[in-house]
Amino acid sequence: MVRSRRSLAAKWVLLVLIALSMLMPLAWMALCGFKRDLDVLKTPFAVLPQVWEWHNYTAMLHDRQYMTAVGLTMLGAVIFTGLSIAVNALAAYAFARLEFPYKRVLWVLCIMPMFVPAMSILITSFVVVSKLHMLNTLAVLIIPGVASAAQMFFMRQFFLGMPTAVEDAARIDGCSRWRIFLKIFVPNSGAVFVVVGIISYMAYWNAYVWPILTISNPTLQQIMPVLANFLDDRGPQYGQLMAASTLAALPTIVLLLVFQRHIVAGVRLSGIK
Amino acid sequence: MPPTQATTPRKRLGTVTAEVVEAGTPERRSSTANREERRTAYLMLAPMVVLLGIFVIWPLVYAFKQSMYQGNFYKAPVFVGLSFYKYVLTDPGFYQSLKVGGYYAVIVVPGGMLIALLLASFIKTLGARMASFMKTTVYLPTVVSAVIASVLFRLIYADQGLANWLLGLVNLGPKNFLGNASMVIPAVAVPGIWLGLGITTLIMLAGLLDIPESYLESAQLDGAGFLQRTWYITLPLLKNVLLYLFVTGLVAAFQEFLLPLLIANGGPVNASTTPNLYIFNQFRSATPYAMTFSITASLVLFIVLGTISALVFRLIRSEKAVDA
Amino acid sequence: MRRGKGLTALTLAVAGAVTLAACGTGSSGGSGTTAASGGGVGTACASPTTVTFWQQKFEDYQQAWYKKYVDQFNSSQTCVKVDYKVVPADTWTQKLQAAQAAGNQPDVVTTNYGNIKPGVAQGQFAALDDYLPASALADIKSNVAPFVTEKGKHWGYPMLVEPSAVLYINSDMAKAAGLDPASPPKSWKDLVDWSTKLTSGNVKGITIASVAAELGWSSWGLQDNSCGHFPITDDWASGRATDSCFADVVNLYKTLYQNKLMPQNPKVGYTDAAPFESGEVAMMVNGSWALGAIKKDKPDLLAKTVVAALPTKDGGTGETTATLGGWTLTLDAKSKHPKEAAAFISYLAAGDPSIMADFFKQAGYSKYTTRTSVDKAIAANDPSTTQDANMKTISDDIVAHGIAEPAYPWDISLAMGTAIESGMKGTASVDAALKTANDSINSTIQKQQLKGTAPQS
Repeated sequence: MVRSRRSLAAKWVLLVLIALSMLMPLAWMALCGFKRDLDVLKTPFAVLPQVWEWHNYTAMLHDRQYMTAVGLTMLGAVIFTGLSIAVNALAAYAFARLEFPYKRVLWVLCIMPMFVPAMSILITSFVVVSKLHMLNTLAVLIIPGVASAAQMFFMRQFFLGMPTAVEDAARIDGCSRWRIFLKIFVPNSGAVFVVVGIISYMAYWNAYVWPILTISNPTLQQIMPVLANFLDDRGPQYGQLMAASTLAALPTIVLLLVFQRHIVAGVRLSGIK
Repeated sequence: MPPTQATTPRKRLGTVTAEVVEAGTPERRSSTANREERRTAYLMLAPMVVLLGIFVIWPLVYAFKQSMYQGNFYKAPVFVGLSFYKYVLTDPGFYQSLKVGGYYAVIVVPGGMLIALLLASFIKTLGARMASFMKTTVYLPTVVSAVIASVLFRLIYADQGLANWLLGLVNLGPKNFLGNASMVIPAVAVPGIWLGLGITTLIMLAGLLDIPESYLESAQLDGAGFLQRTWYITLPLLKNVLLYLFVTGLVAAFQEFLLPLLIANGGPVNASTTPNLYIFNQFRSATPYAMTFSITASLVLFIVLGTISALVFRLIRSEKAVDA
Repeated sequence: MRRGKGLTALTLAVAGAVTLAACGTGSSGGSGTTAASGGGVGTACASPTTVTFWQQKFEDYQQAWYKKYVDQFNSSQTCVKVDYKVVPADTWTQKLQAAQAAGNQPDVVTTNYGNIKPGVAQGQFAALDDYLPASALADIKSNVAPFVTEKGKHWGYPMLVEPSAVLYINSDMAKAAGLDPASPPKSWKDLVDWSTKLTSGNVKGITIASVAAELGWSSWGLQDNSCGHFPITDDWASGRATDSCFADVVNLYKTLYQNKLMPQNPKVGYTDAAPFESGEVAMMVNGSWALGAIKKDKPDLLAKTVVAALPTKDGGTGETTATLGGWTLTLDAKSKHPKEAAAFISYLAAGDPSIMADFFKQAGYSKYTTRTSVDKAIAANDPSTTQDANMKTISDDIVAHGIAEPAYPWDISLAMGTAIESGMKGTASVDAALKTANDSINSTIQKQQLKGTAPQS
């Protein structure tokens, strides 16, 4: 009894320590949003602002370009995440479960893009989307990145681990592969999709160079290029940057908290019973 | 011991686990692929293949073509064949950057995976409420961008920064974190690990929860400690997840360039110039030479990464063959 | 030819404004603007031609200034509509090259002096002589004209110059250390002495570039001061980085770094004035733009800041210690509407001097003019500027002796930057570091076939 209570206390201590070290940078960012630019650079460390610059935050709320960019980037990220899960999950299922000619060749072809450095195809990709008349559309931000070798690889690894018993039974009952995918794999992959979804969402959210290259229409501005406005090597506006980054992160945090249930509920990755 | 969240009824475990182990090799189990199944497979692959074809393969082929021409878009480009590959492969700076990228990856990937495994194992032992709190804290930092993290860590490593202040408390004197060639990569690796930790831990946890409790319980009854259980049971069963984390982590770490750029500007004396930062530095001149050179260098990097990953895959597969 | 008439009228209106201003005796500001917009009213086109213009992002006031005058240009006439886009510096090259590859490159861009001559060699720009009135070209100051001239033609219209290395001294700290800020350090030895005396506790004597990518360009002036040339022969046939005068440059940086007279782990880059502003260093080497940053961030520090030319190796005065960086507007060789694009360049940079005068005012006079008429407009509108001691120092002691940035590829500058960093941080002996740089320069010459391609200026 005493021992378990002691171990529980130890766990709480450890938990608080880990939580502090993980959340410290987040809190630092939010607090720096209240600081003057030069105060952000104070060393060793000033936790609280000397002067509370509420203006850094309120200015962002009234900045229409910024608010539009936050909304639009969220919208794009949600569409991107949905499409990405659909396209990559289908391919992952095919590779994990089906037999077909040229499987190996196609596998190499689909996994290879994982190793292509973005910089090697940056300019030529731009030429391609330009030829396809995709510049200055939401599509150019979303479509080119939807098919992702890494995401497909991730899902395939988990599909490989799913037990085959239920599937075999369904096959004997005459279920088609599509039905099996939709009725057995999709419902049981909630946790996988949440993890993959977070990765996709953040990848879209953090995109910087691609939106700058492809979007010149101010109404389609994405959030990272807008945040970069506060960064210039001759005197970055650190206070504003931190405030804007904190505010921009809020919707994402809310989204994460909503989807957190799906992870916390303990859905097992290969939870077919 | 607090209840774990994923206790499956013992009864079913026998069959499920047998399948988990078996399921890794579906190729062998059904060789009767009929026409219908083939059609289904191609339909399922079609969106992926078409999109990759248009947005990766086409630009990639085009990039290989570009690497054989020198010229801007104002004069007719000059065919230079493979000479830029020679330039890249004879440039000591390129090899130096590969070494830096490798060093960074060797710290970040295993380091990050180890910490994530420990964190995930810890979370697994927690009660439902503590675990949900812990998961939230672990993945929330994902929303901090690399740019913000760089500003923070540059301040932490400054002469009178947090790191030196802490060292000063224990009289270890100020250290020159970013000016010292042997310290800069580990210093940059810390935010590298921290930024990726949330998602790696979640993936690791997902894998851990998949391991049937009965395996670990019976091992515990046999007197196996945490380390033994992890080494002999957890890790082998996590193989699918670990392979994914290792390969994607390696590829990403090798290509990291924002953190070393913003924290140490590639210095001191290129000690933190990773391959992509090296290529980015080449890109600063707008000459036709610089453009062809940077495209060629990144294509060579592609071949390097592909080869390393192919070796990893082969290694894992051959090990599996031994297992079976 | 539908738009021919309107355009002629527009060009005339702009040219008129130029002439008026150039002849004006100082109060030209207001009347010039009237002339330009008055000209616009008379020029009506059925549908405007769109001209794209990309500006590399800099200090906020620059973006505000560009936006204001682009809008003003667009509303002053109906023939040309400028589509203005700000591009962050870190993605500039990629964005421009991608656009060029796809054939949708902008008509007008901001180009720095260093990229003019390489760009001309590649046929990237259209000569402005065919489009701008001769008076506008004659207005360019004689020390700046060579920066944009090649083969007898003008390939960019210069907007501003800014020395890339200026010494800033916190006079309070200097006095406290028993130094007289009125007679700033003259020689490199003085500079080390000052830095030593000013270093105490957590406050460092000086901050200066310390990473290859920054040293590559910020040390050009010192390289030239020590050697009288850059580390390559005049015909670009071979490297000369092993000349002992370059070792002197490396040793200066090495002393400052090894003696811990400067931050070992700087919090910000060379171009950011923050450590000086917050009193963490007593002296700072930075571009002239830092003066504008101090004015904006810490106005009370401005009165305590003394500006001086970077010391020379032997203490001589009137020598070069800084290159003059700066920006021009260039017209793309492939522009489909060169006349319309040139009309915009003419309006913004080469026309009414009060427009550029406003730019320098917004900059807090931390940048310097390239046109005689703009000097006059500033003197007339803002007489106080001629009395400001710091500004006078920069324009008389630094800009007047400043030289153009080298036109050779960046790889050569980076090789020197790497050598300096390597020497200062002790990863190689000074001689070995310079030897490495020289090998790298020779390899660049060979691979990029530079021999004999140096622009004649």
